[in-house]
Amino acid sequence: MARDGKVVRPFAFFRAGAQSDSRANRPILAFEDVYKYFRKDQPTLRGVNLVIERGEFCFVTGPSGAGKSTLLQLVYRKHTVDAGRILFAGRDVARLTSGSIPFLRRNLGIVFQDFKVVKHWTVFENVAVALEILDMPPRLVRARVAEALERVGLAGRGDDRTESLSGGEQQRVAIARAIVTEPALILADEPTGNLDPHLAIDILTLFEEIHATGTTVLFATHDHSLIGQRDHRIIALDDGRVLEARTGLRSWPGAADTRPADVRPSVADARPHEGSGLRVVAGSSRSGSSRTG
Amino acid sequence: MELKTLIGRAKRGLREELRLYLVAITSLSVAFLCVAGALLALTNLSALAERWGQSARMTVYLRDGAQAADVAQLRVVLESLPEVREVEELSSEDARALFLQHAEVSADLAALPPEVFPPSLELSLASGIAPARVDAMAARVAQLRAVEDVETYRGWFDRLDSLLSAGRGLAGVLALLVGLCVLAVIGNTIRLAVARRRDEIEVLKLCGATDAFVRGPFVVEGTFQGFAAAVLAVLVLLVGFMTLRSELDASLAALTGIRAAFLQPWMLIALVLGGALIGAAGSALSLRRYLTV
Ligand SMILES: Nc1ncnc2c1ncn2[C@@H]1O[C@H](COP(=O)(O)OP(=O)(O)OP(=O)(O)O)[C@@H](O)[C@H]1O
Ligand SMILES: [Mg+2]
Repeated sequence: MARDGKVVRPFAFFRAGAQSDSRANRPILAFEDVYKYFRKDQPTLRGVNLVIERGEFCFVTGPSGAGKSTLLQLVYRKHTVDAGRILFAGRDVARLTSGSIPFLRRNLGIVFQDFKVVKHWTVFENVAVALEILDMPPRLVRARVAEALERVGLAGRGDDRTESLSGGEQQRVAIARAIVTEPALILADEPTGNLDPHLAIDILTLFEEIHATGTTVLFATHDHSLIGQRDHRIIALDDGRVLEARTGLRSWPGAADTRPADVRPSVADARPHEGSGLRVVAGSSRSGSSRTG
Repeated sequence: MELKTLIGRAKRGLREELRLYLVAITSLSVAFLCVAGALLALTNLSALAERWGQSARMTVYLRDGAQAADVAQLRVVLESLPEVREVEELSSEDARALFLQHAEVSADLAALPPEVFPPSLELSLASGIAPARVDAMAARVAQLRAVEDVETYRGWFDRLDSLLSAGRGLAGVLALLVGLCVLAVIGNTIRLAVARRRDEIEVLKLCGATDAFVRGPFVVEGTFQGFAAAVLAVLVLLVGFMTLRSELDASLAALTGIRAAFLQPWMLIALVLGGALIGAAGSALSLRRYLTV
């Protein structure tokens, strides 16, 4: 976690308090037996147990409808869990009052498939908004936005209208907005879904560069080619359950034809029973230590 | 919240919704013009009432064939009363001449004999005497020997007074109606603006903006609309007043003895501040209903 400590995070709401020392050693994100029902009879997530250590880079993958987006949405409280807990820096996200949800989100950087940039704003305005929310004085905002734009490769483009940018560039604007506040955790929900394959690699590389400065990244995608090129931890979801695999596509849940028959039972194995909330801790801490150690 | 940021965001909002807001401001200024016009009429009417009330007069009509000695004695009695400032004797001839001079009458009326106009004593009363005291005095004077009748002109004052209070009530109702109308129009305009800026609001919330931060610019924009509409109405009224002033003065001053006056400063301030306040309230109410954050 030493690398994590170097990053200046002046707005780390969750860092506050007397227990900050013990919090620093906690996993940044933990799912404990999380259930989410959009329909009574059919849970979208059924008993998800996961631990994400600080400084990890994780792919979240799985077939369409597996619940990848839902998993991320529960973290930033677009939705609330129906059972179980999600701990962000040791705090139960589900128990935040609606008044403190903004403060949760200020510690997250969120990137979407459809960019969610304001098209008629300038590039600068789209990035600056994240800092204005924090009541940062305009002079400081200008400096930090310029820095963030440089990091995503858009130096000097601040005055351009965002709609005049290409898709890949617009996604970079969104990424600049997500990182300009230096959040501890970045949630990316299929950020490359609308982009060409070579652009997708560029964006993935950008996320890896951000990760290299100590930021934890959760990167949801169902793009096999992206996952296959990198050696990151993979959190595979299928039918609302977690199937963990360290690397590669060997146990890809959707790829039934390429998957050895003996993998299927392991999906059932990954399903946690009562009280064994942190079954996947071993796997995750292994990858976590390999990344930060 | 950084005030500079708030104002900057509100300015951007005003720029983006310029046409929508201009339409709202113009139509609202018509509503404010009604109130301001009513206030102007009331201001001048009460100036008139005050003027008439101050110059309190009483006419003591003398009996037909009253003896000159009786009249002289009556005059002495009247002059000794503390309420009376001055007594002037008016013979039938005088009265006829005065009437013909003031009224533009036809030759038929000019042929009226002096006997139609009874002789009278015209009393000027000391200022600031309570109406009840004037009534009591009139009753006492009516008992005197040479007196036929006493006219206090109280009926006219009462009529003007009731006209004035009716006018005040009407203006109050008008102000209330206009207030509600402005509230509704601004509320609706803000609702439209909210709908048109959905994407922007979503971005703000994902970046961790508080409700107050999201709503702030809309409230500023609504306040500005109310303020601008009131100012516009006052300006239009002022221009109208200035152009009509000379004509008004010519006719009104001759008829009533007062010069036309514009709204008093406190009324102008109340109008403009009221407009701003209603604008703020309208947008705040609208945001409560249509901006679920
Ligand atoms: N707001 C919602 N209301 C009702 N059902 C929902 C909602 N959000 C998600 N679902 C359901 O939950 C399931 C999982 O959706 P989710 O968007 O998490 O899948 P995903 O893995 O992100 O899929 P994709 O790869 O297509 O984005 C789907 O069956 C979807 O219909
Ligand atoms: Mg999705």
